[in-house]
Amino acid sequence: MWMASGVSEEDRLDRVAARRVLRRTAQLLRPQAARVAGALAMVVLWTGTVLAGPYLVRFGIDHGINGRDAGALNAAVVGYVVVAVLAYVTNRIQITLISRVGEDFLRRLRIRVFDHLQRLSMPFYDRSKAGVLVSRMTSDVDSLAELIQLGLAMFVSNALLLVVSLVVLTTVSWQLMLVCLVALPPVVVASVKFQRDSNDAYLDVRDRIGSTLSHLQEGIAGVRVVQAFAREEVEVGRFERGNRELYDSHMRSVAISAWYLPVIELAGWGTTALALGVGGWWVHDGALTVGTVAFFVLTLSNLFEPVQQLSQLFNMVQSAGAGLHKLYELLGTPVDVPERAGAVDLPAVGDVEVEAASFAYGDGPDVLRDVSLRIPAGSRLALVGPTGAGKSTLAKLVARLYDPTAGTVRFGGVDLRDATLASLRGRIVVIPQEGFLFNGTIRDNVRLARAGASDAEVEDALRAVGAYERFSVLPDGLDTEVRERGSRLSGGEKQLVSLARAALADPAVLVLDEATSSLDPGTEALVEAAVDRLLEGRTVVVIAHRLSTSERADMVGVVDGGELVELGTHHELVAAGGRYASLYATWIAGAGTVSSGAAAG
Amino acid sequence: MADRTSSRAGWRLILRSVRARRSGLILGVATGLAWTAAKVSTGLIVKTAVDQGIQSDDTGALVRWSVTLGVVALFSATFTGLRRYMAFREARWIEADLRDRLFAHLQRLHFAFHDQSQTGQLMSRANTDLQQVQAFVVMIPLTISNAVTVLAVTVILALIDPLLTLLALGSLPFMNVLATRFSRRLYPSVMGIQRESAELAAVVEESVAGVRVIKGLGAEPVQAARLKAEAEDVYDQSMAAARTRARFLPGLELLPNIGLIAVLAYGGHQVLNGDLSLGSLVAFNVYIAMLVWPLRMLGMIVAQSQRAAVSAERVDEVLATAPLVKDAAHPVPLPTGPSGRASGICVGGAVAFEDVRFGYGRQAPVLDGFDLRVAAGESVALVGATGSGKTTVARLIPRFYDVESGRITLDGVDVRDLRLRDLRRAIGIVFEDTFLFSDTIAANIAFADPDASQAAIERAARLAGVHEFVCELDDGYATRIGERGYSLSGGQRQRIAIARAILADPRVLILDDATSAVDPTKEHEIRDALSEVMRGRTTIVIAHRPATIALADRVVLIDSGRVAAEGTHESLLASDGRYRQVLAAAERSRRATAAATAAAGNGGGDDARRPEEVAR
Repeated sequence: MWMASGVSEEDRLDRVAARRVLRRTAQLLRPQAARVAGALAMVVLWTGTVLAGPYLVRFGIDHGINGRDAGALNAAVVGYVVVAVLAYVTNRIQITLISRVGEDFLRRLRIRVFDHLQRLSMPFYDRSKAGVLVSRMTSDVDSLAELIQLGLAMFVSNALLLVVSLVVLTTVSWQLMLVCLVALPPVVVASVKFQRDSNDAYLDVRDRIGSTLSHLQEGIAGVRVVQAFAREEVEVGRFERGNRELYDSHMRSVAISAWYLPVIELAGWGTTALALGVGGWWVHDGALTVGTVAFFVLTLSNLFEPVQQLSQLFNMVQSAGAGLHKLYELLGTPVDVPERAGAVDLPAVGDVEVEAASFAYGDGPDVLRDVSLRIPAGSRLALVGPTGAGKSTLAKLVARLYDPTAGTVRFGGVDLRDATLASLRGRIVVIPQEGFLFNGTIRDNVRLARAGASDAEVEDALRAVGAYERFSVLPDGLDTEVRERGSRLSGGEKQLVSLARAALADPAVLVLDEATSSLDPGTEALVEAAVDRLLEGRTVVVIAHRLSTSERADMVGVVDGGELVELGTHHELVAAGGRYASLYATWIAGAGTVSSGAAAG
Repeated sequence: MADRTSSRAGWRLILRSVRARRSGLILGVATGLAWTAAKVSTGLIVKTAVDQGIQSDDTGALVRWSVTLGVVALFSATFTGLRRYMAFREARWIEADLRDRLFAHLQRLHFAFHDQSQTGQLMSRANTDLQQVQAFVVMIPLTISNAVTVLAVTVILALIDPLLTLLALGSLPFMNVLATRFSRRLYPSVMGIQRESAELAAVVEESVAGVRVIKGLGAEPVQAARLKAEAEDVYDQSMAAARTRARFLPGLELLPNIGLIAVLAYGGHQVLNGDLSLGSLVAFNVYIAMLVWPLRMLGMIVAQSQRAAVSAERVDEVLATAPLVKDAAHPVPLPTGPSGRASGICVGGAVAFEDVRFGYGRQAPVLDGFDLRVAAGESVALVGATGSGKTTVARLIPRFYDVESGRITLDGVDVRDLRLRDLRRAIGIVFEDTFLFSDTIAANIAFADPDASQAAIERAARLAGVHEFVCELDDGYATRIGERGYSLSGGQRQRIAIARAILADPRVLILDDATSAVDPTKEHEIRDALSEVMRGRTTIVIAHRPATIALADRVVLIDSGRVAAEGTHESLLASDGRYRQVLAAAERSRRATAAATAAAGNGGGDDARRPEEVAR
């Protein structure tokens, strides 16, 4: 059996970190202490049975055969039967217990890490790379799962087997053992080298598999472009080179085991030959029994097996340890938008007040400075301004996706930091600009806004935004699976689902990031109508990309350079002749040129 | 054996691959047999050493046989390594070779095949399926020497004591059976774990990617519940695998013990009675241990071979798909103009559609009775509602698909009579959805001609309006784009795709909605550049924006698979109601974009980073 595994240099744990990982794991396993102890006991017993067999053969030969005592021989046989049964039972229990403890640990770890990930705030996500976060829950947990499923019992029992074999062999005949120890230094040296080389080889193979697969993926996804430019031969040549490198890398890895395995085998059989020769000599002298030599012969050929297994498993253990370390670090990341002790529910309705609010990422410069405004219940505020000016940061403060670094945000007079998270998310809902869909049905996707909503409520929400007819005519209706993040739906349809979510959540305050990109002509009008219906009667903060939206808002705020530079109604601001007025002028001019074609029709 | 008959093509593929590597595999088998010889003789040497050396007090014999054992052990160990290396060398080669063939074949398969295939599935053909084949092939030479070992040991032991042999090895065939069953039972659970883990990973991925939606709606509990369900599924599958292990592994270890007990019980008494030598008893013990792994592997190969055949069948399915669009038996060379090319202006490029009928698969035809003539050097704008067939027109010229009836000619030659390579080299196309490769910007622009000079690349880049922004990047044209590289905006990507087509310097340039994502404030620059590129070159433009349409000499309105009207932009605008409708519909959806850019100030709409779009 061959288990490839590896850990990169920067992930390798130092002693302190390793100890921390062990301590933390022990803590998490405490509720399972009885099972862990039971599993350990079974592994110890099972290891014992592996050695007991040859030992009984020795007893049978020395006392039964050479002692010409049939009773002793029979006793050895009976003993062996007991050992075999014990081996069977302990092995079975051991596998079951370790799996149960290990898999349960993994299950709880997965749930716990994910829950923690979900609790972490937007600033955390803004800082982190998505791929890294996902790999915590996938490759890091998987390397641990691999260890539990394949290696943990083997690691423990091989380590035990090695130690106990050495002890028993020494007890039976320390002289002969001493002779056999000549094989140990080359085995240790070879194993250390093997462990290092195979680790490097594994990492190399893994990287090359990764690049071959991404090349493959690109070759398939981009096949139309390749054919359009008649580049097939070049691409095939490139792929073949990478694939050839992968083959070479595989073979380097095989070559490492091809020299290492013989060393182990030779150590086993070489010491067997030694035991036979030297041991036989001592038998002649009467210093040793034949049974002892037989015991050595039967044990030695397998003595170095554990060394080989251990050096392979060592990489697996290291990579699992590194994975756990990263997981515990993630679990240790503080949640920066927490619910305060004694938090209160927000009132059902109320004004939104932003008072002298500033925000900065970490120690960075303020991206929003000293912003104050008040949005009366039921009125609409449109935020306009260039990209990166701070519009969306301001919107995020209103929804408490971020906490302001200075100042306060209040709803109905309550500081958002004093509100329960449940009531906060119930009152204030954010609709991002892209209609992001999750795997599942259209119904599931709408229901995301309120887990307990009935089918009728989901349908009502779709009706409320005028999207029910659009989806109910599909062959599977609302139960249509949106595959691969909604690739079967158009951009406009995705937005309709997104808007229906907001309708289902039915919040007092809606924070809306308007879509920048144009939609397919078929759904454009539908989406516009849906937005209009949704905004009816709610307090709205909209990040406006269309001046037609700001035209209809009760209030317009122009954000630039992290400050609220203008605030007023559309007409006031146009009349004032400031930033907004010039934006508006550009728009009118632009609209005029592009619509000339349509105007003629 | 339903598996076997249904995967006959799979077996044939494996057989062909194995036959192609037969010399290496024969060498592997030979190494394996040398291993067998050395391995099998160790037991006999131990027996002789015990009997003649130890039991009969012959020191000379003892030394002789111990040294022999040491020497044989050296051989056996060497061959252990060698047979493994040889087996993997051939198996990995076959895997790599099939992967090369798959990739090369996929690169040549027609568009219609790719339209119907999912990338992920094709990927797993070249990945997991080939691994299954490899795992089986590696076992072939190993299994042959293993089987010979089992046979040789059985014969040797039977010669020593037939009854004891029966007792010692009698239980071992069950090991074979048990190993087969174990492998078969475990496989679905292992696959199940992989499947459920992938589903769990999908929940994690979308939760991270969609975190704004989740936070915005406060939907954390919903996702947490979904993840919990997936974690439970992974747990269930893992426990099913653990139960299978718990059921079979102890049994697999018990069986050799039964043989060892039988040897000690019956063999021990035989030695007591003087009917068996002590050396033979020890040899029996040694041999039983020797057979444990070969027998287990014999059990595994049955299950593995079936999996490999099913996998190979799937690989064969792809390889056996014949490319529908291929070179004619006797291709006609592409006619060159009388003077080839003069003063940088292309000669040739006349395109004609003659009564063309075409539909995708078995669906209703998209084009029916379609006639269009584009003179060499002329530029034509195709305008039509969504689904009217204008993109199809563009895709038929380079033979991405073949027409059902009628014909398409390039400079008077039916495109099906041209060498595919010549045809496609003569045509430059910019697709609506831009695909760029994870490579440098220079390599992406020089896609049509990897040997293009830096000057040529920069000229194409200037014309497409990318030169300026590329120069602002730290690494300039050497900047890597794609998954692990720099993220481009949709407009930047489109402009690089235009540069790519310009560099190809084609007779016919096809722009399929190629400027839809380009920031309107920059569009006029590109329009100027395009008009430069289009001068004297046959160009087919699919567009909605009046300004882009105006670039063309002639406008063709396509409606339900036919040419509905043609003329200049102005004349159609004045005379044709359908034309006005189509433009008005496009205009409505575009108004938003124009306003968005105005509101965002300095061209933010175009340059907003949307990394998820890159290299899709």
